[in-house]
Amino acid sequence: MTRRLYIDVHVVQTVPPANLNRDDQGNPKEAIYGGVRRSRASSQAWKRATRQHFDAQAPQPDRSTRTKRITQELTNRITRNTSLDREGADRIATQLLAQLGFSQGKKAGDTAYLLFYGNAQLDAVAALVTDHAGDLAALDDKALTEAVNELPVAKHFETGHPMGVALFGRMVADIPKLNVDAAVQVAHALSTHETQLEFDYFTAVDDQNEKDETGAGMIGTIGFNSATLYRYATVGFAQLTDNLGGDTDAALDALDRFVDSFTLSAPTGYQNSFAHRTRPSLVAVVVRTDQPVNLVSAFEEPVTAEAGIQAHSARRLAEEHITATRVWGDEPLCVAASHTFTAGEPRTKDTVDSLTQAFGESLTFADLRSTLRARITTALEGTQ
Amino acid sequence: MTPSEPTSVLLLRLSAPLQAWGDRSTFNRRETRPEPTKSGVVGLLAAAAGRSRHAALDDLAGLALGIRIDQPGSILRDYHTVGDYRGQPLLSAAVTAKGVQKPTSPAKRTHITHRFYLQDAIFLAAVEGPHELITTLEHAVRHPAFPLALGRRSCAPTQPLTLGQRNGTLLEALRSEPWQATPAVRARWGRKNGHAAHIDLPATLDDPTGDDVRDDVPLSFAPTTRTFTTRRTRHTYLQAPTGLTPDPAQPPTTGGHDPFALLGW
Repeated sequence: MTRRLYIDVHVVQTVPPANLNRDDQGNPKEAIYGGVRRSRASSQAWKRATRQHFDAQAPQPDRSTRTKRITQELTNRITRNTSLDREGADRIATQLLAQLGFSQGKKAGDTAYLLFYGNAQLDAVAALVTDHAGDLAALDDKALTEAVNELPVAKHFETGHPMGVALFGRMVADIPKLNVDAAVQVAHALSTHETQLEFDYFTAVDDQNEKDETGAGMIGTIGFNSATLYRYATVGFAQLTDNLGGDTDAALDALDRFVDSFTLSAPTGYQNSFAHRTRPSLVAVVVRTDQPVNLVSAFEEPVTAEAGIQAHSARRLAEEHITATRVWGDEPLCVAASHTFTAGEPRTKDTVDSLTQAFGESLTFADLRSTLRARITTALEGTQ
Repeated sequence: MTPSEPTSVLLLRLSAPLQAWGDRSTFNRRETRPEPTKSGVVGLLAAAAGRSRHAALDDLAGLALGIRIDQPGSILRDYHTVGDYRGQPLLSAAVTAKGVQKPTSPAKRTHITHRFYLQDAIFLAAVEGPHELITTLEHAVRHPAFPLALGRRSCAPTQPLTLGQRNGTLLEALRSEPWQATPAVRARWGRKNGHAAHIDLPATLDDPTGDDVRDDVPLSFAPTTRTFTTRRTRHTYLQAPTGLTPDPAQPPTTGGHDPFALLGW
């Protein structure tokens, strides 16, 4: 089994007036924590944003698709790999997939339902026949069926999941054996301070109004609030590696891209009304060999507005990390952080000191990612 | 468990901004009980110990459970929509003769569910069982095989999750463990109650002669054969230390069960 490692990602991010994730009244979601009302963005909303960011960045083989045209996709790969003509490749592809027993769709060659698979999985199946495709195409139908039946097609669909599926999991209601348990856990984002729901009362004027017509063409309200959010996610590295069929390099890639996507994505609710997209002011990663540690209790007592919410929240987080490490005696394997606070300014000097004490000197985000990868690689080598 | 076997109690502090302890939610309304369920606690221990969904649970489900409500929290309703982000229509619940889900007609793109959470709650869970198993579980909770959650995946616990092992009975452990409410809540309660040294906290205990029945003992977590059975429980109040220093000028009260307090009498 892969060494048990958890990678905790802590983010402090301020959003201006916004409505990232709304409830059935159209207002931003909220929760009570520490006895006061907080702004909240659900874990599901932020995971969706992360996932979309992740899919947009991933190179083609790591992406996944959902299609009925799996036979054609496989045929394309076989023709690309070999000198076979389309007809021959199609016969082989059909036979390869026949052993899985997918129900046939209305159009010839289609499966009855959309199949969610990774491009890499299909590449692996196509590779099974690359070396002897010519021989296979020469066989008659019966011999071809027999020859192909021995190939481990199903195995490639049950393992080697695309990174997105390995990270975020998958549920297939009618084929439970294709289910994958997620390797990431994402908590609901909560504001570090008390927030009040506010309403923007708006009127819109009809541009084509006649001169003597007065009044608005439309009135309404949009609920919004502004918040410094604490966001937390953890990645179970052992499970991620298992989901990727034991491929440590793929797991490192998936982790790296997850850190990138989780940090830089945000739900786009009311984006055009509020243009709320910001970057985090602090990203800290903590690699642990024991257990994931969520530091939300740093904000159980709400940060007050006089304190300078953003800098104070970052400092609280750093202090909570230091306290937790000291009290429970569970030293992390490594820590790294990127933040935007400067030591030169008297207002944020204390924050920078605490952050440096907790997570080391601030790195650029690119360096944070490469440091993380290097440290985990070393840690894994140390145990093998 | 044989009577002669030495037993221990493992104390878990279940605290997080959000928790969810469902015992009957299979469809679009995902409810939560006001306190942790046995299946939730057993599931957490099984995940910590690295058991698969198909693994046997008899030993874990056989542990005696006691829950003390240190900070009851309140219910949060979360409006939740589900959609295919590629914009494709969703599948309906009905299936064809072949067991394949039918498409929705007319095409439906957004599915609505309601998820209920407990917000701002803190519980003390005590699990009693054979000493050896409890020791294994304590280590597992400190070094979990899978990320742990308080009833639902997005409900990551805050630290410390485990307060360690205690000798003696489950009831003794729940009585002697200091009140786990947050400092602000304890201070506010102290000001109102003369900083009394003890507080009465509601608790639910496994009890074969209890007068309440809960259908939350897991027999299997396997995705296709999730099954539960019942247990008998008893609801009671336990006096726990508050960790406060009594104010001699004010008569101490226990702040116990006082229904009229809600009316401000």
